[in-house]
Amino acid sequence: MVRGKEQIFFTAFIGLVIIGALFVATDWPVRASIIILLLGGVGVILTGIQLAMDYKAIRTEGSQITRPTFEVQAIEHQGRWGSLEIWAWLWGLFFAIHLIGFPIALPVFVLLYVKLYGGSWLTAIILTAVTGSFLYGIYDYFLSVPWPKPWLAYFF
Amino acid sequence: MFEAALEGLVGVLQPEAFTFMCLGVLIGSLVGFLPGVGGPSTLAIMLPFVMTMKDPLLVIALLVGMDAVGNTASAFTSILISVPGSTGSQATILDGHPMAKNGEGARALSASFVASLLGGIFGALVLFASLPMLRPLVLSFSSPEFFILTLWGVTMVGILSGNAPVKGLLGGILGVFISTVGLDAKSGVERFAFDISYFWEGIDLVLVALGIFAIPEVIDLAGRKGTIAKAEEFGRGYVQGIIDVFQNWWLLLRTSIIGVWVGFLPGLGSSVADWFAYAHAVQTEKNRENFGKGDVRGVIASEGCNNAKEGGDYIPTLAFGIPGGTSSALVLTAFIAVGIKPGPDMLTSQLNLTFAVIWTLVIANIIATAICMIFAKPIAKICFMPFYAIVPPVVAFVFIGAFAANFHSYDLLGLMAFSTLGFFMRRYGWPRAPLVLGMVLGDKMELYLWLSYTRYGLEWLTRPMVIVLILLLIASIVYPILTSRARAAGRSIAEA
Repeated sequence: MVRGKEQIFFTAFIGLVIIGALFVATDWPVRASIIILLLGGVGVILTGIQLAMDYKAIRTEGSQITRPTFEVQAIEHQGRWGSLEIWAWLWGLFFAIHLIGFPIALPVFVLLYVKLYGGSWLTAIILTAVTGSFLYGIYDYFLSVPWPKPWLAYFF
Repeated sequence: MFEAALEGLVGVLQPEAFTFMCLGVLIGSLVGFLPGVGGPSTLAIMLPFVMTMKDPLLVIALLVGMDAVGNTASAFTSILISVPGSTGSQATILDGHPMAKNGEGARALSASFVASLLGGIFGALVLFASLPMLRPLVLSFSSPEFFILTLWGVTMVGILSGNAPVKGLLGGILGVFISTVGLDAKSGVERFAFDISYFWEGIDLVLVALGIFAIPEVIDLAGRKGTIAKAEEFGRGYVQGIIDVFQNWWLLLRTSIIGVWVGFLPGLGSSVADWFAYAHAVQTEKNRENFGKGDVRGVIASEGCNNAKEGGDYIPTLAFGIPGGTSSALVLTAFIAVGIKPGPDMLTSQLNLTFAVIWTLVIANIIATAICMIFAKPIAKICFMPFYAIVPPVVAFVFIGAFAANFHSYDLLGLMAFSTLGFFMRRYGWPRAPLVLGMVLGDKMELYLWLSYTRYGLEWLTRPMVIVLILLLIASIVYPILTSRARAAGRSIAEA
């Protein structure tokens, strides 16, 4: 039942985004708002239909969620921490990039991830070297990407 | 036309373009046989690179080469470990894996490679043959017809990319809304920017594509911890597999036609093409008792069809600027970024580029098949890479790609926001392709609607071709809903 309720919350969130967009667009001239008003109106009706379908699904099938046939299978929680584990890695990398910068954060992330999940030192070093050389070779050397200044650089 | 064809061929055979094509084929093949790293995710990762290129031929060689061969190499994992490398090779498992279990893995693999090659070439030939018919049709269209076509493209993808049509349509609408973010050049209005200067230029499709597709796949792969099943032996019958394809040429031709048709229709991707082809083979072939137990015809039907689809997919993409699916939507974005203008120009002033696409489809398929055939044994070993060797480099490339989109640190925040949206969309069964397609077509849709309104008032709705297209649009919404209801009713009667 919990998954079914989550589903309704997500649909409601999408509906609120569409209603919010419609509300904001009413202040604009026709040239800027025509597509929002046209599709937003349809979107509100469709959200209502989807909410009714979600509610009906909870009533009739418990917490089951209809999955798109031709899309990849919906993500299910796995293991003790489910998807939280990889989300923690992603947010950790996000903050590490801001804190110590791209050129250090990415190779360190690759090395730590491979080692902590049981990879050999050889695999870890090879993948770190590949990532590092890609970062420095392609982006730094050829494309001259202006990496953002890390937060720590402001202190030292 | 002959001159344009020759110019296209010479263009893609130039050393630089040919090198990029080989690179595209290698990346496409690698992605194909690594389960969990999808074609759209990789195309999204490649977008920041290709947008820095100046030569459209190089972009065509790299991206079309990559897109054309993803399904060829994905047969490795489908046959050897029963895990589809891409969504287009799911039906291959049904007979390919039992063949591997029976010690005929090599036969299944060679049959799948040759079927993929011939299917891919067939798709390219159909694209070539359709050009003379498309040219007068496209040139007779003006803004009202193009508006309905863009609307139809998003609607079809929304309706057909899952068994959740309402969610699909809402995703398409959301995509169009995202495309409107920023300063509107025509009216000077700041749309959904909330006084934040970062939003004035609009939201980059690269960020959305990376967040919506790449990160959710990574989360899935990392969550599954990559426990790939024990591999089957490589087996025997390598030459026999090649002979099998030629012995079943009529089946291959029929399923390739199905592939081209599915590719041509917006919204139906390779994930459905292989199932259609497989079902057709089971329904129409004689001695069908072996299907599902290791019949080589099941492999030929599925693999021939999924590569033929690519040629069909490029027909609406090039002629109308309306991509048939996620991969072609991303390729289209790159095309536009480097100055290629899909639509009437592709059939007139840029005809040589259209031929470059056709030649790339043919040559890339030949190169991919040669690589797979020659290096089948060592490639088969790479399929068994554990998740911890795939996840960190992919994440690193995604973060670099997101930042390289605009060189702005807000890009990373945008990536995380769209990753969260993509994760929840996938978790709750919302098809993601309509959102990307809505974003790609949003600008055009708005422009065509405005042009139609200002030029014709509401009279554009009475134009004969517009009426025909509106009727087709309504039929494409109503028909799938009616058939799914009829199927559901049939099921409940059967259960009762």
